[in-house]
This record gives sequence, C-alpha cells and structure tokens, in this order.
Amino acid sequence: MSTRALKQNVTGYLFISPFIIGFLAFTFIPILASLYFSFTKYNMFGDPQWIGLQNYEKMFNGDPRYWQSLKVTLLYVIAGVPLRLGFALMVAMILNTASRAVGLYRSLFYLPSLIGGSVAVAIMWRNIFGDEGIINLLLVFLGIPDVRWFGDPTAALWMLIFLSVWQFGSSMLIFLAGLKSIPVTYYEAASVDGANYFQKFSKITLPMLTPVILFNTIMQTIAAFMTFVPAFIISKGTGGPLDGTLLYSLYLFIQGFEFFNMGYASAMAWIMLIIVGILTALIFFSSKFWVHYESEGGK
Amino acid sequence: MKKWLMLLLSVFMVFSLAACSGSTSSDTPADSGDSGDGEEKQEEVKLRIAWWGSEPRHDYTLKVIEMYEKENPGVKIQAEYASWDDYWKKLAPQASASQLPDIIQMDLSYFSQYAENGQLTDLAPFIGNQLDVTNFTDNYVDGGKIGDKLYGFNLGVNVVGFHYDEALLKQVGVDSLSEDWTWDEYKEVAAKAKDAGLYVDTGMKADVFFNYYLRTQGKSLYNEDGTALGYEDDQMFIDFFGMTSQLVKDEAVPTPDYMAQIKGIEDDPVVKQDAIGIWQWSNQFVGLQQVANRELKIQNMPGPGTSDGLYLKPSMFWSVANNSEHKEEAAKFISFFVNNEEANKLILGDRGIPGSSVVKEALKPVLSPQQVQAFDAVAWAEQNSSAFDGPDPIGAGEIIETLDLLAEQMAYGQLSVEDAAKQFRQQAESILSQNK
Repeated sequence: MSTRALKQNVTGYLFISPFIIGFLAFTFIPILASLYFSFTKYNMFGDPQWIGLQNYEKMFNGDPRYWQSLKVTLLYVIAGVPLRLGFALMVAMILNTASRAVGLYRSLFYLPSLIGGSVAVAIMWRNIFGDEGIINLLLVFLGIPDVRWFGDPTAALWMLIFLSVWQFGSSMLIFLAGLKSIPVTYYEAASVDGANYFQKFSKITLPMLTPVILFNTIMQTIAAFMTFVPAFIISKGTGGPLDGTLLYSLYLFIQGFEFFNMGYASAMAWIMLIIVGILTALIFFSSKFWVHYESEGGK
Repeated sequence: MKKWLMLLLSVFMVFSLAACSGSTSSDTPADSGDSGDGEEKQEEVKLRIAWWGSEPRHDYTLKVIEMYEKENPGVKIQAEYASWDDYWKKLAPQASASQLPDIIQMDLSYFSQYAENGQLTDLAPFIGNQLDVTNFTDNYVDGGKIGDKLYGFNLGVNVVGFHYDEALLKQVGVDSLSEDWTWDEYKEVAAKAKDAGLYVDTGMKADVFFNYYLRTQGKSLYNEDGTALGYEDDQMFIDFFGMTSQLVKDEAVPTPDYMAQIKGIEDDPVVKQDAIGIWQWSNQFVGLQQVANRELKIQNMPGPGTSDGLYLKPSMFWSVANNSEHKEEAAKFISFFVNNEEANKLILGDRGIPGSSVVKEALKPVLSPQQVQAFDAVAWAEQNSSAFDGPDPIGAGEIIETLDLLAEQMAYGQLSVEDAAKQFRQQAESILSQNK
C-alpha cells in the first residue's frame, strides 16, 4: 500500500470512528457481557456467580410466568403484525391518489407513528379505554355492552394490539413508495383488457408489492417482539391484569430491574434473540413461495 | 482542504476519546484561578432525596426540605418522589449505575436486598455525631439493623388494622365491632354489607395479611433465616385465601379489575362510600381520613390470636446510599427529620408513629383527632403485640408479586385455592432456597 492510499484509508477510518467506538462500547461489548451473565447468578450489585445452564433450565421448567409472557407476545405479534400491515396498505392505497391535499394527509396519517412509542400516547390510550373512556361510551352508544378493558386479560392485550395497529405510519410510507414504483403502463394495459379494480389489485398491485411486504413483515415482526413501552405504561409496569399484557420485554425488565435477577434476564434476552432469529428465517424461507421479483422474470 | 479536514477530525478524535475515559471526580476541589484572596469559598452541597407516597406526603415533605434548606443555607436538596410501584422501578436501575439518591426512603421488603448488596451505608458511625438519638429507645433504632449494621433509620412504627366508616357499618345493621372480634364475625359483617349493596372492604394485601394470619397460628411467611417458607401446612394458605377469594365471589369485596381502575386514594371505594372499610397500616389512616373528609374509625385486627399476630412494624427508613458523596450531610438531614419538632408538626406521623419522646410530647397539642386515633391504635398495639420478625429476606419482592398474582387468579376464580397453595410453595421455596 502506498503512503497516499494509507492516508486515504486513515481518513476513512477517522470518519467512521465515532460509530466504531460507539458500537464497541454500547453494543458489542454489552452483548458479550450479557451472554456471559446469562450463565451466572448476577444481581447487579455483587459479583456474578457461574451457575452454568441453570437460568435456561428455570425458564423451561420452573417459571410459569415465562411461558405466559411468551404466549402473550406471540399472540401480540401474530395478531398485531398482519393487522397493522393490512391497515398500512389500505391507507397507502388511499393516499396513493393524485389529489392536491394528499401531501397534507400523508403527514397527518404519519403523525401517530412519530409520537407512537412515547409514554404520552400510552397514557392517552389508558384513558381512552378506561371504564368511563370514549371507547366504552361509543360501544354503549352503538348498543354494544361496554368492555372492562383493564379487567380482562384478553381485552387488555387487544387494547395493546389496537395501539400498535394505530401506529402504522412507517410501514405505510414504505408501502406508498412501493406503490409509486409500479409502472402506470401495467394498469393501462389491464384497463384496455377490461380488468376491474379488484383484478388490478390482485394481479398487479399485490404481486408487485410482495418484496415490500416481505421487508415490512420482517421489520414489524422484530419491532413487535421488542415492544415494551405501551405494555409498561398501560399495565403500570405489572403486566396485569393476570399477566395478560406481560410482553416478553416487560417480563425481562421485571426480572432484571425489579427482582435483580440480571443473569436470568440476560438468558431471557438471548432466548428472545433466538426466537426472533427463527421467526425471521421462517419468513425468509417462505418468501420463495410468495415473493415476486421483477428482475428475476417472474417466479 | 484535506489538511483542514484531518486537523478537524483529529481534534474531534481527541475529544471523543477524552469523553469516553472521562470520569469526573468531584472530590478534588478545582482551583478556578481566582484563589488570590485566600478566601474559602463555601461549597454548596447538593443532596438528592427520594421517597414514595401519595400527594399529601409529597406536599409536606417538600415543606420540610424547604425548612431544612433555610436553616442550612449551604445545602440544596433535590427531591425525587413517585408512587410505590414507580419508585422501585426507578431505584433499581439507579442502584446498578451507582446513581442512587443520597437519601433513600427504604421499605422492609426491599431493605435486605439493598443492604446486603452493599448499596446502603452503615449509619452507626454517625450516631452521636451527626445523628442525634438521645430521645429514642434502643429498640426503636435497632429496627433498622441487619446483623450488627444500621442500614436505615426507623421513621416510625405502624400496625395493621381495619379503618372503617362507622355510619356505613350501622347502615348495614352492625352496631359496633368489639376488640376481640373474630374472622367469623368479619364474614358476617361482609354478608350484611353485601345485602345492603355495599362492599365490606377493598381486599387485603396478600403478603401482609397472610403473614398476620400465619402469626396468629404461631407461624410466619418466611422462616428465621429467610431460606424457606415459615409454615409447613398448606391448609393455612387454603383457609386464609379460601376466605378472601370467597368474599370476592360473593361480591362482598370488589373484583381485582374494579380495583385496577383506581388511580389513587381519591377514587377509593371507602372515600366514595361504596365500601365500609379498608385494611391498611395505621400511618395511612390520616391521609385516608383527609381525603374522605368524614369521621372514620380504627379497629384492631380480628382474632383469634390477635396479640400473637400483631407486631409493630418499622414503617420505613431513611437510608443513605453508599455512592453518596455527602454521607455526613445526609445523616444531618435525617437527624433533623426525626428530631425537629416543627418539622414533625408537618409530618404528623404520616411515616409511622415517631420514635422520639420529645417529638411525641410536642405533637400532642397539635394532633388532630384523627392523628390521635392513629397514635392510640399504635399505643394499644404496643400492649397487644409480639416481636417483629425482622426485615424480609432477599427475593421477597419476587415472592410478594407471585403471591399477589396468585391471589388475583383465585379472586377471578381461574385457579383453585388448593392449586395456588401448591404453586406458591413451589415458587417461593425455589426463590428462597437461593439464600442458603
């Protein structure tokens, strides 16, 4: 390597150094530390004691709340993600029209997601779904019996799912970009052949969108798995009623920061990583059968 | 151009590296260059203090802090207060980051956890210096001891009881409760309340009252050294929680989801006259009465075995964090808090009946009738109680949450009392066995 090339490389490394330092200090080293902690009994105050696989054993054999949290989280992901994506696609289709106010509407619809993960929204959600809240008033008005959102574990979880559906903005924007990239000529050709709206949607829009749907599904699944704030706020940090909103991250937090079982919490975090990894792999594997790339000349 | 860029980046690098290795130590007085006049600058001490509680407690504590700051101009105290649940969730991360407030309000259920993990300072060295204990009995001060170290200063003693509205009791057809009432009589009151369309109470905090029940039978929730449960026969669990969950099924006690909607003492069914009474600690009586704004009474716990079951519980402690840089100053504040008569006229026994004989004497003329009731309840219990079991063992927080969850499941009828008894034993033993 000539000195000049070396110089250039140094400049490059200098430029990325803030990221490298940050990554090592705040991501890479903590990840390794948590792997080590997951094999120890560690309460954050004293020194970790090596206990081998005991934490993992406890998870699978001696902790009913762990299974409850897994169940709740899987339901949250499996019910929440498709609903959210469907809703996002629907709104994207509506906003993919050429009208003058469309820019304003796009911004408005994106707003809930901007403030979405915040504590304030979760508190607002708590009040909307309260016994005297607007949702119950509406139900009564429509002649449907009101729901005790905070008394019934299933209802409380659905309340969380609705909150996640309402924060559809980021996937909506990606869908919108995907819709914009479909050539208009396809639709024109289909119109000439006499295709109706539904046929255009199912034969052109959906297949052309599949790569975007895949991307969104994976991103949203990972994000849903890591949901913490709304469950924490809405259940006041307990995961109640009856552990109905005990999402995985919330239980992890309770174990780590409330019971000081940091070793156990680290083990939980690693299992979560494995579960998310497997889910992502499954989605990727299934994509062979339903994702359609233009560049590959069809399926 | 390139050179400039390189220079800029190197400067940036130096800064970012310096920031990474930067640990600011505040115990080296920095010379700011103007030390020519030889005048000693009065360093301002900044203390952080944290407590849990309800609105009235936040208000008067802030006033006490103001008072202290006026008397000690060099001290600035920053308050961090929260509700019970939020408080412990905030404190734990702070502990792990060695960022605990200098003065921490400590509860018995977390006391061992923090003390035995080296988070709290032994206050013994400050006694007689910054901490004045002339007017306290040794017994009272020793309430904050674990082993031979004093990890917290007892703020007062409390006793559990039934705080109720006598007018509502009469309304359902019970004239009065006697000192030697029993669980059976309690169930009768509950049935009558239900018939009159009222709740008898708002349920019992599972761990506190189950432990009381066990003590009336000569047992306790945890064994002596905190390595196992303190009772062998699950029938006791079945008897006690059979009673409490049956009351919920009979609609004499509200369901957990009804209780989950309650945001604070202001919405409490007792305050709204939907329930006759509430089971709680004597120091919570005054706050409840203030919000309810009508006459309430205190009744001792039902028996049999009341005097074995009852004990004077150190209500809470002021502890000093080990990471504090101003431990003496913190001890001084604690001393002020427990000894100053004017301050205690604001506190008025909200954190437990005070230990200082001088303070008790000074409070007599200013106590409201309600406060006298709370003081009397504790005075009565002093004559009718047994020894305190000492602080909860490590892992108590997790056990209490487990028990609360099981109690909730029993109340909803999702779990039989027998199964809950088995599950509780299994889970609690596995947590406690780690203390061996």
